Amino acid sequence: MDFKQTTQLIYFLLYVYFIPGCTTVIVDEVKHQASTLNIKESIVVIGRRSGSDYETEPELISCIGSVLGQGENGINVIPENDFVDRLYPWFEARTAPTHIKGLHRLISYDKIAEIIDDYNVHYIVWVDGNTEKTRGSGSISCGISTTGVACFGFGTWDNSAEYEASIWNYRTRTFVGKISSVAEGTSYMPAFVVPIPLIAPVQADACKAMGKQLQNFFK
Amino acid sequence: MIYLNQIFIMVTRLVMFGLVLSLLLSLMSCKSTLEVEGNFPTPVINIIPLNVGIIYEEQFRSYRYIEKNEERNGWEIGIGKSQVKLFNTVLGAMFKSVVVTESEKMITNISADVPNTSMDTSIDLYFKPKVEEFQYNVPDETDINMFEVWIKYNMKVYDGQGQLIADWIQTAYGKTPTAFFKSQERALNEAMIIALRDIGAALSLRFIHIPEINIWLKQKQSLSQIRKHYKNHMSQAELITVLLANNSLNLGYL
Repeated sequence: MDFKQTTQLIYFLLYVYFIPGCTTVIVDEVKHQASTLNIKESIVVIGRRSGSDYETEPELISCIGSVLGQGENGINVIPENDFVDRLYPWFEARTAPTHIKGLHRLISYDKIAEIIDDYNVHYIVWVDGNTEKTRGSGSISCGISTTGVACFGFGTWDNSAEYEASIWNYRTRTFVGKISSVAEGTSYMPAFVVPIPLIAPVQADACKAMGKQLQNFFK
Repeated sequence: MIYLNQIFIMVTRLVMFGLVLSLLLSLMSCKSTLEVEGNFPTPVINIIPLNVGIIYEEQFRSYRYIEKNEERNGWEIGIGKSQVKLFNTVLGAMFKSVVVTESEKMITNISADVPNTSMDTSIDLYFKPKVEEFQYNVPDETDINMFEVWIKYNMKVYDGQGQLIADWIQTAYGKTPTAFFKSQERALNEAMIIALRDIGAALSLRFIHIPEINIWLKQKQSLSQIRKHYKNHMSQAELITVLLANNSLNLGYL
């Protein structure tokens, strides 16, 4: 095997090693009112944390925020932590408003309204959902000896990411619409001496789809 | 050349043996230690115009949970420093002024709970938190991929004379999902911080709605209004008569 062939083999192995599994994404949108956003205005994306057996992942929220901020139609997004910390204790898991009426009550307190106005927030986006493993099969066994470590076998599993975003207009105190993003994918891990993970980026794909759809929502 | 090869094989075997031994040792020692660390934001709430003394007992300041169940991983979780930090931040924002009091110096011989009446007459309320119970779950123990923490606090509030006003239980709950590349320590620390934020939120929003405290605050308010109104025009005896008529006599305020 000459140098060129060796290089090609290394490239092929690297490609195989980092190749992602397949994901299917379905996005739905319901819009009750027109929603526009001026250049100087901001939105805040907050995760719902009131579910008893799941929690909207903080990394998903920051991922949606970064997707919304990208490109020519980039939107000014206030980081979730900054917003929630500055308005402590009103946006904690047990105290955050779950309905638009709750927001009405909350902003009747001047100090809270002042802080939200200070951020120049026009829309509040509540994201609820999570990513979970729905099925798994196969097995991989690894052995260790004085000659080294080796793994053999095959594993596969399905992941499902289901998220729903409720959009509230802070200025008019109304519910504007909903966007849902459902991603499903299967990951594979064949192991022949070295395990080769072919991971389906389910959460990342759900995040990208949700972020792009939200960008269009505010056009 | 053969001699060199033998040395090479020996060294390789020694390295591999060392690796296997260290792997086995790391698997055998399952004890994990966590000192909870984090920052807490200042609550956005109306200030209650009272001077408050906080009593932290040494057991509270240095609270450590040590897992004694042999079937579980041996976690040792230190939350004392963080919970003191949380209560200082939250109570500091809730009241006009807050002082941290050394409990040992405050205790009378009558009761281990009641602060000494002769200590500080400018303090309206004494606040004393205590951890009653602590529980946690790691993902391996439940069906959900989350770290969960429960803390049961006993809160006691005394007036400036050391009389118990309110005694109630407040629970804190925090959970955090597992994530790729996130260590168990980091995930549990996050769940702990969420639980402490939860107790801070409950305390700051519920405090004046605790029935006994609410009654005490109303009494204090009406008392100060009566005193303000009559003080310049009445003798001490007349003032006592008015206060008795209003059911708000508390000799400590006279």
